[in-house]
Amino acid sequence: MEKNKIGLHTFMALPAFALFSVFFIYPLIKGIGMSLTDWDGMSKASFIGLDNFRQFFGDERAINNIRTTVLFALGSAPLLNLVGLIYALLMNSRFKGKGLARMIIYLPAIISPLIMGYIWYLLLQPGRGFIYHFLEQMGKSSWFGNWLGSYGTAMLVLILVNVWQYAGMTMVIYLAGLQAIPEELYEAAKVDGATFPKRLFYITLPMLMPAIRINVVTNIIGSLSVFDIVMSLTSGGPGYATETLSIYIMRMSYGARTGYSTAVAIIMFFIILIPVLVSMWLTRVKSLD
Amino acid sequence: MKLKKILIALLVGTLLVGMLTSCSKGENNQASSDIGQENQGTKKEEKKETVRLKFFTGKIETIDLMNEIINDFNQSQNRIIVEQEYQKDASNIIKIKFAADQAPDIMTTYEQGFADQGKYLDLSDQSDLWNRLTPAMKEACTDIKTGKQYRIATNMTMAGFFYNKELFNDLGLDVATTWEEFEKNLETIKSERPDITPWFIFGSEAWHLGHLIEFIPHGYIKQTLGAVEAKKAMLDNDHSKLNFGAADGPMAQFAGKMLDLLQKGYINEDVLTATNDNCVQDFVNGRAAMLSNGMWILSSLLEANPEMEDKIGFAPYPSYMPNSSPVVLSAEDSGYSISATTEYKEEAIEFLNFLFSAENQKKYSELSKAPSAFTDVDADWAPENIVNEVSYAVANAVNIGFTNEKPAGFSGDDAGRMVQELLAGKYNAEEFAIAYENAWDSGMN
Repeated sequence: MEKNKIGLHTFMALPAFALFSVFFIYPLIKGIGMSLTDWDGMSKASFIGLDNFRQFFGDERAINNIRTTVLFALGSAPLLNLVGLIYALLMNSRFKGKGLARMIIYLPAIISPLIMGYIWYLLLQPGRGFIYHFLEQMGKSSWFGNWLGSYGTAMLVLILVNVWQYAGMTMVIYLAGLQAIPEELYEAAKVDGATFPKRLFYITLPMLMPAIRINVVTNIIGSLSVFDIVMSLTSGGPGYATETLSIYIMRMSYGARTGYSTAVAIIMFFIILIPVLVSMWLTRVKSLD
Repeated sequence: MKLKKILIALLVGTLLVGMLTSCSKGENNQASSDIGQENQGTKKEEKKETVRLKFFTGKIETIDLMNEIINDFNQSQNRIIVEQEYQKDASNIIKIKFAADQAPDIMTTYEQGFADQGKYLDLSDQSDLWNRLTPAMKEACTDIKTGKQYRIATNMTMAGFFYNKELFNDLGLDVATTWEEFEKNLETIKSERPDITPWFIFGSEAWHLGHLIEFIPHGYIKQTLGAVEAKKAMLDNDHSKLNFGAADGPMAQFAGKMLDLLQKGYINEDVLTATNDNCVQDFVNGRAAMLSNGMWILSSLLEANPEMEDKIGFAPYPSYMPNSSPVVLSAEDSGYSISATTEYKEEAIEFLNFLFSAENQKKYSELSKAPSAFTDVDADWAPENIVNEVSYAVANAVNIGFTNEKPAGFSGDDAGRMVQELLAGKYNAEEFAIAYENAWDSGMN
């Protein structure tokens, strides 16, 4: 009887497995094979072993792109979680206009990041954008700088726009986690004289660990594979200052270096995988605590 | 319960079978046996009679006109049907098509790399067409490596400085032939009309900055070495002739002069974030005095402000190196190639002959605002003032073509991004020249 049940379940998993094989396993294997060739996207490919990988680590632009991507993730992922958590704590309290506030915070997340990027581009253009003109009206135009065209500030703008766009999404997951925490726990803590910080650190955060885990992992993946916001706001510029690995892959692929760009995509996969595994392990340990 | 399980199993099975059958194209073809066999004979006959040609283009501005010409062609006979496919990112999509062995029969995209790989049909034997083309245009269409022609360019395009003639007249300025005169003009505009940007550069678009390299330092190399020798030097990466990295070479001099103009405020402050649209708007509204671009911007300028028709001037790039002359781009545009693997060579050539008729080319030239490369086409491709301006510039400057011999791994956009870095303060002039040479070298590998 049990054996039959397992057989039926295996059979029922076949469609999903078939789709997974066609759209994930097959491209992955094909991609690994391609990364070991010098294929330019047109002519016949020749096997070149690990040359593409060696070339990547000897390419100054590629290494700089890792730095840029990691810097973006280091700025973006923690800030997204912090802002998302603060929003969620606020939205979990009672105040007038909560529904409207929640909608306004979440709204940017449903707009395409590419469109969002172009909107921010129009807002931030020096001498032309809305923010410049607003500051000019206030007599404070000197406050405005060429933020998108400067090495010092372009990355900061990208991080802030990314946080602004996706904080609502992070908030929703935290909010769901907060609402799942039983009210009795807080009531009991209050009876025991626990202050707000104590309730936050000893009840809220430990109970939120599954939500933290989801948010940290998705934000790390999203930040390390960022493409659209960077493309629409700075196109990776000025020069290559904000060029991320995904943009580099696209440019290499279109630059007749398909084999090489596939190798970079595999490297990027591991660059994302490592922090994801580490964060999953860290949050798992804490949830056991 | 048992019935439920059977039902689920049936549903899953149906889904799986459906998915597998829809994927197995080959088997499906076999399965449609009887009806298929009956129809095959008719289809073969039909195939013999009617040929379908795929025409692939990346030129958005000519889609409607091409549809009109294609319709005329399709109706003029009953053996060939031409179908147009437009792709915005045509130069990249064509790579995918070549890779998938789905090359279109006729295409507007041309790259040296494809020519090297034998992707295009040799059109050198089409003497009727070549005899109608200007000799300069035939030379521009000739592959330097093989001496053969793999494309036919129907139009010419020019690039140089567009300037506001009215403003120049008001300030008593003449078109500059040397960099000193050019800088003096910018200085006068800046001091006399502080609200006007002397030279507007839309540097957020890397291709535009790449064009500055293409027209100014590469232009100098082309004029000093000559078109053919410059192409050979670029293909061979001959450092002694290109001299990219030298402190007194064309690249360092160009970089130094650009930094100087930026520092003096002769270029727009938002050079790194300004867009093509900003440039058009500022120029047609009198907020910018000059811009560097090709004829392809003309329709945008006239559309944005038709009253500019008589106010637009056109000038060559001034000489910026010792013993050099002003240069202007006068290059091939709208090239057509036939795939080397097409089964319908004769039919493709028949269509091109129709497209290249004097009547169709007149329409094409007037729409694309580019003079025709055919000697028997008399087209009003631009307002008279602009035609005169362009003719004068072309007659009084060294004419250069585009660089098709750039390294595969170092595109015009890459060069433009390096200029962005220069303007953002990453390099001084000498460092820029060395970095450019290194990027060019590594692009060769």
